[in-house]
Amino acid sequence: MAATSQPSHAAAPSAAVLPLSLVYRVGALVAALAFVGLLILVVGESPLSVLGALISGAFGTADQLGRVVNTLTVLLLCAAGLVFTFNAGLYNLGIEGQITVGAIATTLVLRLLGEALPAPLVIASGIGFGLLGGMGWGLLAGVLKVYGRVSEIFAGLGLNFVAQGLAIYLIFGPWKRPGVASTSGTEPFPESLWLGTFGRTEATPVGVVLALAALALTIVVMRRTYFGLRLRAVGLNLRAAHVLGIPATRQLLAAFALCGALAGVGGALQVVGNFHRLIPTISGGLGFLGLLVVMLVNFNPWFVLPVALFFSALNVGSLQLPLVLRNVDSTLSGVIQGTLVLSALIGRGLDQRRSRA
Amino acid sequence: MKLHSSLTLISMAVVVLLLSACTATVTPASPPSPQLQPAATEFRVGMVVVGPENDKGWNEAHVSGAKYVMEKMPNVKFDIVDKVNPGDRPNVKGAQVADDLIARGAKLVIFNSDDFKDDALEIAKKHPDVMVVHVSGDYAWPEGKNYKNQPNLINYMVKMEPGWMIAGCAAALETKAGRIGTVGPLINEETRRYAVASYLGARYCWEKYRQRDPKDLQFKVTWIGFWFNIPGVTLDPTKVADDFYNGGFDVVMNAIDTPEAAVQARKAADAGKAVKYHHYDHPSGCELSADLCIGVHSYNWGLGYLNIIKQVMESGKVSNNWIWAEADWKNWNNPDSSALLYTKGKALSDENSKLLDQFIAGLGDGSIDLWKGPLNFQDGTPFLKEGERATDVQIWYMPQLLEGMEGQSVPTN
Amino acid sequence: MDVELIHIHKHFGEVHANDDVCVRFRSGTIHGLLGENGAGKSTLVKILSGYITHDSGDIALDGKLVSIQTPTDAIRHGIGMLHQDPLDFPSLTVLENFMAGGGGLWLHRREARRRLCEIASSLNFSLDPDAHVSELTVGERQQLEIVRLLALGVQVLILDEPTTGISAVQKEQLFAALRQLAADGRTIIFVSHKLEDVEALCDEVTVMRQGRVVGSAAIPCSPAQLVEMMFGKPLAPPIKPPTAREEIALELREALIRTNTFDLHVPHLAVRCGEVLGLAGLEGSGQQEFLAACSGLIPLRHGSLRLNGREMAHRPYHSFMRAGVCYLPADRLRDGLIGGLTIREHVALRAPTRSFFLDEPLNARLTMEAIRVFNIRGQPNTRVERLSGGNQQRTQLALMPNPLSVICMEHPTRGLDIESALWIWQLLIARCQQGTAILFASSDLDEITAYSDRVLVFSGGRVSEPLDAHRLTADVLGHMIGGKF
Repeated sequence: MAATSQPSHAAAPSAAVLPLSLVYRVGALVAALAFVGLLILVVGESPLSVLGALISGAFGTADQLGRVVNTLTVLLLCAAGLVFTFNAGLYNLGIEGQITVGAIATTLVLRLLGEALPAPLVIASGIGFGLLGGMGWGLLAGVLKVYGRVSEIFAGLGLNFVAQGLAIYLIFGPWKRPGVASTSGTEPFPESLWLGTFGRTEATPVGVVLALAALALTIVVMRRTYFGLRLRAVGLNLRAAHVLGIPATRQLLAAFALCGALAGVGGALQVVGNFHRLIPTISGGLGFLGLLVVMLVNFNPWFVLPVALFFSALNVGSLQLPLVLRNVDSTLSGVIQGTLVLSALIGRGLDQRRSRA
Repeated sequence: MKLHSSLTLISMAVVVLLLSACTATVTPASPPSPQLQPAATEFRVGMVVVGPENDKGWNEAHVSGAKYVMEKMPNVKFDIVDKVNPGDRPNVKGAQVADDLIARGAKLVIFNSDDFKDDALEIAKKHPDVMVVHVSGDYAWPEGKNYKNQPNLINYMVKMEPGWMIAGCAAALETKAGRIGTVGPLINEETRRYAVASYLGARYCWEKYRQRDPKDLQFKVTWIGFWFNIPGVTLDPTKVADDFYNGGFDVVMNAIDTPEAAVQARKAADAGKAVKYHHYDHPSGCELSADLCIGVHSYNWGLGYLNIIKQVMESGKVSNNWIWAEADWKNWNNPDSSALLYTKGKALSDENSKLLDQFIAGLGDGSIDLWKGPLNFQDGTPFLKEGERATDVQIWYMPQLLEGMEGQSVPTN
Repeated sequence: MDVELIHIHKHFGEVHANDDVCVRFRSGTIHGLLGENGAGKSTLVKILSGYITHDSGDIALDGKLVSIQTPTDAIRHGIGMLHQDPLDFPSLTVLENFMAGGGGLWLHRREARRRLCEIASSLNFSLDPDAHVSELTVGERQQLEIVRLLALGVQVLILDEPTTGISAVQKEQLFAALRQLAADGRTIIFVSHKLEDVEALCDEVTVMRQGRVVGSAAIPCSPAQLVEMMFGKPLAPPIKPPTAREEIALELREALIRTNTFDLHVPHLAVRCGEVLGLAGLEGSGQQEFLAACSGLIPLRHGSLRLNGREMAHRPYHSFMRAGVCYLPADRLRDGLIGGLTIREHVALRAPTRSFFLDEPLNARLTMEAIRVFNIRGQPNTRVERLSGGNQQRTQLALMPNPLSVICMEHPTRGLDIESALWIWQLLIARCQQGTAILFASSDLDEITAYSDRVLVFSGGRVSEPLDAHRLTADVLGHMIGGKF
């Protein structure tokens, strides 16, 4: 039988359908790029020099490459988690809070165990607790959704707020730095509790391995297991899935738990591999960026890696923009991201409208 | 649908690859690339700025300092990245920005906020050949509580305490009701010592020039919780200022980055109240509601930067890694020699202006020394015994407000 | 105002929704438009009220040809329509809704309030002008809509299935108001599929079937005559061989089943293994809820439900599934199959395995077998939404576990060609021969009489005693569907 690892095993659409669909999708994309290019021209820069600055800003030095990799690891973990929730038909906007709670749990473990145990063991349990923390926070959103009948979007946003408040409380309260509490976060951990890096860059091999493992796991679970199939069934048609005898509640909760767990690991990496302390905005917006990535790839795990890499490079590279070019600010990366996602959604919408007509 | 979206993505990847292929050939021709080596005589300085570069306050003052240096030394070039804070640039660390600046050739990096202390130390360790200047920290102070022996880390701060004393004095001279309110930022050692300094100045002038009993002077600080208004997180400075003006405080001192005290003073004055305000941080702050402004004390960063850069260019180091720069009392208000500037406002009467000059002169020649005992902390415990003079360490790490001041000494948490 | 529809044609794609329809609605009368779901009556009145444009044909008011392209045109000609779900603004008050759509630039609240109260009290409606529409019942929203249309000067009032979802009291109020409006000389067009409502209210009735007018009659007339017009020819003879056994598969006692508008009471019902029980009645009479309750999808309000002798009331759905109950819904893509998944993925979802990883060879084998045995025109990787209706139904049947003790089905052959329908019944009868009991609802009376051993008739919130299918006549069935038992 044909391998199921193919991204799509739908019946081949008729020859007449395919190019038109492509025209819509690619057209939307070209329009997005043209829009961004025009914007750059309007402010008086050349799109090519912006692109050059972005690329050199992301890959110009080992440090920058390392940062791209570090951003990518957390983004991949979030995106992998979101593949589960999106496929279950859930908009897990609470992912930022799940990262934050994961980071808080990791910080707690590092503070408690500190010097008491060998450093690798402390780091490992820190990441483990980060996973559990994120999972718990995800499940909380799930319970509110399934049993409390609260839309997961509002539950998630509310829980984000709570998690953020908790982090700020801890940083300014019980975990404040000796002397003066500061928005720069808690006291940094001793270097023994930092994850090892590739050379002098910030990229951590452990992070890379965890992120790639999470992505591989996601692909395998979504494509090769009954669990993944049931998850998709629930996401596509909750009612029919119930009639067919799939325990929908359990599937939804499992999706929240999995996504929260992976986001929690992402939060743990932010602490042990990136910031080396807890800061108020520890999630760094990577959860929301993950949402954009997964929406852009239409929930298909196979394309998460390239798109996440693209967004990570865009994020890191854009920092260079105001240094190299007079008239462009790094916020351009946000404009590019937004335009791309919007165009992808519009392209998809147009295509669906056309195929329905 | 999935197949279609896959195709979209493939095509997107192709487009991106094509575009990058184009630029790969174009890049060498495109203007400044990070790998470009600076000219032999050029000295590059990187500056990591926490807020927006045009905030008419703390951050703009630093950027003005950079411009001052570039005017004086044409072969010095500054690369400035502003808004380096987690709100404006999520997931970006000050250290990362500094790394980029160093990769572009910076031999000296300036961090302009207390919040960057970990980043400054991290960068100093990572790049031993680059001098790192951290404004307002204490890691390079051997006598300080947090000394980290890091030879290429410099702490630079302007001694603003006399500025606050002058401000406090001016406020005390101008208050009719004997009630001075301060709109304060968050509570830490720096802001406490500033509040204490302004109280000491106010009390002195109230007693000496106005011949009044210090018990009749009400001096209150309300901390909003941050350097500017964050709705829902901080107190609203507009409301804090209004409460002062409506509550009978006829002089309000601003100690935050934004000018609510000035704006609300205008409204209160329009409503018939005789109120005035004192500003902080940037000379232009007195231009708002100019006729109600008593004065403004501000930092002159360029001077210190120039000094540090000159030393580093000559010898690769500075003579002293701990710099707490003072005003030039002899050449008062000279931007080429004084790290601290004071601008009088229109609301300061001529008579009081003369008294204030007298006070400044006294501070300058040492005949007025307000850091002298006996002084008690707010909780009644002694700070300085009779005749004892506060050390720099005691001043820098000010643990409480003083007896006679109203307001919180430590954050409620 | 007399309304005449002349040779109206309307196509929706392949479907000929109105096929050469000619009707005359006389002023001062209440005219019923009767027919099963999908007979074309809603399309016709939407054409008259401007919500749909017709392909060809004419509309004449008092003998004069008019052109109605939009609802505004219709209102200008004095024609207003009350929709099944009233079109109003839930966040606004009754008064604001009343004023919405009125002419003029300025709102005259006081004048509007006076008009609203005046019209409402003339019809014995009690509407609070300041209540929010979101707080009103469907019946009250209808009243508001009627008042609003009358204020706009409507002479022809069309009501599309107005008695669905309103209380008995509100129905009485509505009917009284409509009679009064007709007595005032207005033309009332009453669209319904409920015989008893038409009999109770209308002066004359026109019956539609499959897009055509099949007849009209003055009320009162025999329900059997109407039933025959609605459903076509005399009933088909039974063709199912006897398969019922002695043992009882499903037994209900004093069961109370909640529907949207009423509680259905079943004193006692025993379905034997291998028996086929047909559920007849106009759509929305409770058959759907009855089947959902028998398959465990909705709980009984009270009473007992036994499967093969075991008490199952209040047990969860998956216990019913484990006990061998299978439910096949009418709306296959909404309730039964998962659009976006392929046939093979559906087979895998139902595969009897406990392993974690997909057993692809097994699923492939099961899928090929299902496609072959059930003659599904599609590939294993074809998504179910791309299948034709018949092949979707075959897929649903292929997904049924084997063995089963009870199958609950809605409209087993709706939308299918005759060949597929016959084939599906062959298959179902084979299941009966294995001892499976089948409960099925259908709006096709031929199907009911041809394949049932016994028949339950649902009407007016009640369910009849089981009737022997062999002794059923059109007249008896028609009366019962019309609510007389």
